[in-house]
Amino acid sequence: MSEATPILVLDRVTKHFGGLTAVADVSFTVPAGELLGIIGPNGAGKTTLFNVISGYYRPDAGRVILAGHDVTGQPPHAICRLGLTRTFQLVKPFGNLSVSDNVMIGALTRLPSIRAARVEAERVVETCGLTPHAEARARTLPIGLRKRLEVARALATRPRLLLLDEVMAGLNPTELAAMIELIRRLHADGLTLIVIEHIMAAMMRLALRIVVLHHGETIAEGPPAAIAQDRRVVDAYLGEEFVLAQA
Amino acid sequence: MDPARLLGPAQIDVLAQLAVATILLGGIYALIAVGLTLIFGIMRVVNFAHGEFLMLGMYLAFWTFALYSVDPYVVVFVSIPVFFVVGLLSYVLVMRGVIHASHNVQIFTTVGLSVVLQNVALVAWSGDFRFVRPWHLSTVLRAGSTTFNLTQVVAFLIAVALTISLVAFMKWTHAGRVMRATAQDRDAATLMGIDTDRVYRLTFAIGIAAVGAAGVLVAPLYSVYPTAGLQFVLLSYVVVVLGGLGDMLGAMLGSLIVAAVEVAGSYLFGTAWKEIFYFILFILVLVFRPAGLFGQRGAETLGV
Amino acid sequence: MSFLVRSRRGALVVFGLAAVTPLVVRDAYFLDSLVLILLWGALSAAWNVAGGYAGQVSIGHASFFGIGAYAAALMVTRFGRGPWLGMLVGVVLSIGAGFIIGFLSNRLKGPYFALSTIAFSQVLLIGVSRWRGFTAGGEGIPVPFRPGFATLGLGHVGWVYMALAAALLCYRVEVYLERSRIGYQLAGVREDEDAAEALGIPARRLKVFAVTLSAALTSVCGSLWAQYVGFVDPTYVFSVDLSVRFALNAIIGGMGTALGPYLGSILITLLETYLRATFSGVKTGFAGIYLIIYGTALILVVRFVPEGLAGIAARLRARRAHA
Repeated sequence: MSEATPILVLDRVTKHFGGLTAVADVSFTVPAGELLGIIGPNGAGKTTLFNVISGYYRPDAGRVILAGHDVTGQPPHAICRLGLTRTFQLVKPFGNLSVSDNVMIGALTRLPSIRAARVEAERVVETCGLTPHAEARARTLPIGLRKRLEVARALATRPRLLLLDEVMAGLNPTELAAMIELIRRLHADGLTLIVIEHIMAAMMRLALRIVVLHHGETIAEGPPAAIAQDRRVVDAYLGEEFVLAQA
Repeated sequence: MDPARLLGPAQIDVLAQLAVATILLGGIYALIAVGLTLIFGIMRVVNFAHGEFLMLGMYLAFWTFALYSVDPYVVVFVSIPVFFVVGLLSYVLVMRGVIHASHNVQIFTTVGLSVVLQNVALVAWSGDFRFVRPWHLSTVLRAGSTTFNLTQVVAFLIAVALTISLVAFMKWTHAGRVMRATAQDRDAATLMGIDTDRVYRLTFAIGIAAVGAAGVLVAPLYSVYPTAGLQFVLLSYVVVVLGGLGDMLGAMLGSLIVAAVEVAGSYLFGTAWKEIFYFILFILVLVFRPAGLFGQRGAETLGV
Repeated sequence: MSFLVRSRRGALVVFGLAAVTPLVVRDAYFLDSLVLILLWGALSAAWNVAGGYAGQVSIGHASFFGIGAYAAALMVTRFGRGPWLGMLVGVVLSIGAGFIIGFLSNRLKGPYFALSTIAFSQVLLIGVSRWRGFTAGGEGIPVPFRPGFATLGLGHVGWVYMALAAALLCYRVEVYLERSRIGYQLAGVREDEDAAEALGIPARRLKVFAVTLSAALTSVCGSLWAQYVGFVDPTYVFSVDLSVRFALNAIIGGMGTALGPYLGSILITLLETYLRATFSGVKTGFAGIYLIIYGTALILVVRFVPEGLAGIAARLRARRAHA
């Protein structure tokens, strides 16, 4: 793969559910090393888009191209092996297993031996600041730590592209700051990310580029500063107060 | 088979006979299914022991007939309150604890209940096949060229009457509306102040009363033995899934379809293979049409 | 997974005792109980591979047991070959059946899957019962006893070691699933299939793998059982009660632990032996009574002691460690 090949290309992706069009003709490109933000009101189709990209839904039209491979319609595990890992908006920890086992299962995707996976899991757990909780059962964790576990587990699969779905929702200010810092660090280390978020302050800080979805369509795309001023975006989602607060 | 012979008068007679048999049988299955779809639709629990309550109804019919010579069609009206109470007890003792539990707990609890009930019957009444032979079983009626016996007709009529009462209850009474609301959205119902525990209790009691009564009605038509419930439980789940969970009208239509398959299957392949049909039909429906005939919420979407 | 250390010690005790017993005890009745404990344990461990480790709870494992039993019996009585060949054929057929059940497990969830496994076992029961020409139908097949290893005509001591071998095989498979890469991935699938898929785990394939492995092991035990008991009939070997029994031992002992099924088997088989001795005077009641007890035990254990005996042991150990 050459330096120029984008990590992800969405080409006119469309998804219907019966009479409802959840994703309508969405196209964008994510070059390697970018941190792309996706925002939009609830019901805009953001998570559906993630589901299509990661293989949980098959699009009714359009293509998903991951690092040059057409992965449209492939099952999620195959897409993960090709380098894309996603997290879930409603976190899905392996409840009865420990934090380190959770992360280890992620690591096993790339590493064939349990021993190597354990070492890798320890490293990722450390990176995500979960070491004090490593032996705790995932089920016993509060939401803030669960979100972090969700990210850690995904990280352990050594993705080329990481999709984060509202990992900041429900976090208190301290946890939020830590999560923002974690994402920033991952990005700085070279990971390509697509992040769905409602917390605009975080998005403004982290994203290089933002795509705005509304009723399944992209209504705007560009750097955060431009998006914050975009009339359509303000009307559909951000609201006047937000614009004023930016000033 | 010679195509020219396909629609001659003899064939039409056969079809008519099969149709009548289907309707008569379907009516009874509807009574079982309607109770089950209620339980399933409202409580979201797969009750593996459902067939055992039917079996108990069959035994009730047998013993009252054998000991006191009471006709099953009189007993059926007694069986309704009896099984209503049985349902209440079962709910309080067993089901209540598992409504919010994991699938595995629900499965093993109701499987355990099924095993217990089957073997209580076995120990108490032995595994011998019993038969209920009231006078009307040998009374043959004719309509045109079709024949059926009085037992089937009366069973059908009573089953239909009970089913209609149940539907009416669900549609027009306050309790019925509350139950339907709970079926739609458990959490919303709780937030509205509905005591879901009472709803479940009532639902389960009604469902068991229905299946117990069905057992009484069905007793003269089948042999009575401790594991008689097994074939019915799978069958009723086919009906319920076909008709859409919680959909009483769907349950009635599904009953007709299943009855048709059984009747046609028996005719074409003989009664020996009949039982295999339920099971194969069951697997086929679940695999290919889990959303039911009408694309309603079904096996896959209901979070079961 | 500190379960492992504990169960290793426990396993050493259980299997060690089993291995040593025939050297010391000669009572045929006692040895017979031991064989049954080991076979039931093995069967429950085989069930556990699908039910406990992969999370696919089946109430139809008698399908595979019956296939194995009939394959062995028919190979001897109809084809005049040895039961080992029958066992092999049984395994092949059971793997095929396992693929079907595995397919169902990917289409159906929880209770529906369980219901469909019951349906499958009943289809086999009725089919075998009606197929008189080949299987002697409902009358069953008496399996002749011919002394020798090739014909599995073993004495009591021989059978203890045969059953022990089967038990160790199933135990070893369980342990493998606890500490291997596939085992961890399977645990992920069991906990949350969607999340596992997102991590690159081919969940559907793994489930089919677990179910067919479970089927093969169950079939092996079924073939052994046919030779040991000497009689196969469809209403028993394909029965729902039998399927429930496999699950019961695992649940009581601890579903999803390697030693659990064997602990459960010890408890239940001993209970059964005791009941048989106590109620041997009562004519028809016996079989029903212990099933009533099992059913009640199932309801109570699953509700109040879901981790089973192994889980209780773990809790006690943890409490002592903190004391």
